[in-house]
Amino acid sequence: MLELEDIVRTFRVADRDATILRGITLRVGKREVVSIMGGSGSGKTTFMNIVGLLDKPTSGRYRIDGQDVLTADADRLSGLRNQLIGFVFQSLFLMPRLNVWRNVALPLFYRRTPLPEAKAQALAMLERVGLAAYADYMPNQVSGGMRQRVAIARALVGRPAVLLADEPTGALDVQAGQDIMDLFMQINRDLGVLIMIITHDPNIAAQCRRQLVLRAGVLVDETHLAAA
Amino acid sequence: MLEAAGNLLAARQRSALALVGILIGAAAVIAMLNVGGIARNETIRQFRAMGTDVMTITVSSRSSNAVGLKRADVEAIPAVIPAVAEITPFVTGGGMVAFGTTSHNATFAGVAPEFDDVVRLTMQSGRFISFHDDYEAYCVLGARLASSLGGRGERPRVNAKIRVGAYIFTVIGIAAPAVQNPMLPLSVDDTMFVSLPNARRVMPGQIMGAAVGRLAPNASAEKADLALQAYLNPKLRDAYLNVQTARQLIAGMASQMHIYTLLLGAVGTLSLVLGGVGVMNIMLVSVAERKQEIGIRLAIGARRRDIRALFLSEAVILAVAGGLLGIVFGLAASWGFAWLSDWEFVLSPEAAPLGAGVSVLVGIFFGFYPAVSASRLDPIEALRAE
Ligand SMILES: Nc1ncnc2c1ncn2[C@@H]1O[C@H](COP(=O)(O)OP(=O)(O)OP(=O)(O)O)[C@@H](O)[C@H]1O
Ligand SMILES: [Mg+2]
Repeated sequence: MLELEDIVRTFRVADRDATILRGITLRVGKREVVSIMGGSGSGKTTFMNIVGLLDKPTSGRYRIDGQDVLTADADRLSGLRNQLIGFVFQSLFLMPRLNVWRNVALPLFYRRTPLPEAKAQALAMLERVGLAAYADYMPNQVSGGMRQRVAIARALVGRPAVLLADEPTGALDVQAGQDIMDLFMQINRDLGVLIMIITHDPNIAAQCRRQLVLRAGVLVDETHLAAA
Repeated sequence: MLEAAGNLLAARQRSALALVGILIGAAAVIAMLNVGGIARNETIRQFRAMGTDVMTITVSSRSSNAVGLKRADVEAIPAVIPAVAEITPFVTGGGMVAFGTTSHNATFAGVAPEFDDVVRLTMQSGRFISFHDDYEAYCVLGARLASSLGGRGERPRVNAKIRVGAYIFTVIGIAAPAVQNPMLPLSVDDTMFVSLPNARRVMPGQIMGAAVGRLAPNASAEKADLALQAYLNPKLRDAYLNVQTARQLIAGMASQMHIYTLLLGAVGTLSLVLGGVGVMNIMLVSVAERKQEIGIRLAIGARRRDIRALFLSEAVILAVAGGLLGIVFGLAASWGFAWLSDWEFVLSPEAAPLGAGVSVLVGIFFGFYPAVSASRLDPIEALRAE
């Protein structure tokens, strides 16, 4: 599904080059659940942005379903993101002036789905994340855990093949975090979505079938350690 | 669209400022158009009754022994000057007239029998002064004068007796209300008409100081003016002649309107530009404040043109809101103008669509740069913004 080869990402800050990713090679198959851990500033978000087609690597190759995605222009990338990828961002980004179901339906809006259909799909997805009763609330009227579920519903409403979640449980208490994690596993089972979760929480990481750690700009597979 | 409107409401104060600029601009444009329309309508109305071939001559005396026009000289004009089709002299003055126990200040006009034909005067009752009435003590009353004399239920009618000083006049007719023509040196509605010989009685010592006539079809107003000056001036003493034609007057009014229109147009354009800059400023601030939102929209799959459309529609909504208010204010201002100048208010059909169109254009023009700059943001940069 996802094939990344020798991904390097260098930022130029104040006339100095800082190489954050130093040659990452990773293959992830359909339906996998992958966790990425790593210290703060290790480049997890940077890597996820590249995987999510928001950013382009300084060098390297990236294919999705065998198709080279690094040659696409900005609008084509928007289309690919819209079709293939769902994001749950590190800091929560809901549109404050749209109610819950309209937030969820936003990706469909950019797909030009007719409104009644978009609403139906948004409501179905809210049902799945357990928020059917809150469809007409505004984002600031629901709790942080619920907002995170709204963000997940929005990421999933377009039926993406890949779900990228950047610290989805970071701001939640242990129980709420576990609920979200359960939701991810259930979604992976039901919808067959590839899920990549960035987390600082070893308990969360331990529940993923594959566990990667980003250290010194390279990605290390540590699944066997957890299994051991 | 609803979203765009919601975003604007959230930035209320800043929006209001830009709104005011567009409002003033659109209002000025609307007022300019509509006042122009009202003035044009008024000119047409004033001259519809009397026609645009009307001309008047007035004589201003320089001293007490001035000699004015002579009836025979004036009546000979059409024969001498072919550009003038018909012309009739009259004397004007004023004083108190009494009817029963009431009295009222009136304009007096001593007229020849052709007067009613030349000024297209119509009668409400009775008839106008005729050839046979030169030496009869007959008078004709203007509509307003007739209705302001006498008490309730006993207005002057035909055969009523009107007293002017020591003289008693018999009313032989009452004129129908007439639109005030800016060319005539008197208001027909407030006038008591008598024959020219009788004029010497009610206005002793008054020189014959006016004439009203019509130009021949296709005659040049300027040439008629010069010919009249050349013919009449040698016959006057201690007085000078002033010839006015409707065409010249209309041209003068038109050029004055043109100046007003230009002035309002300049004010309108200036405030539209200022309002537009205001819109641009709001939109730039808004783009800067909403970078994260732009980032998330791009991540979710918005294309450049979606982002552009979002911000452009906000700019246009802002401008159109200002424009609509401007249309209301502009129409109100031109209504006020019509009311103050006692003119009939007419709605120029092009005013509202033009005002709306102009504000949409301002919104698009000044909203374009901020919208494009929003759409060019890099998703990562946008998401990392504070
Ligand atoms: N656009 C950019 N320009 C310059 N430097 C950047 C940019 N994006 C990221 N960096 C730098 O790259 C490094 C890695 O950032 P990144 O956000 O990927 O870390 P992270 O692993 O997600 O950290 P955290 O766990 O705190 O979220 C940081 O030092 C950051 O300052
Ligand atoms: Mg991060």
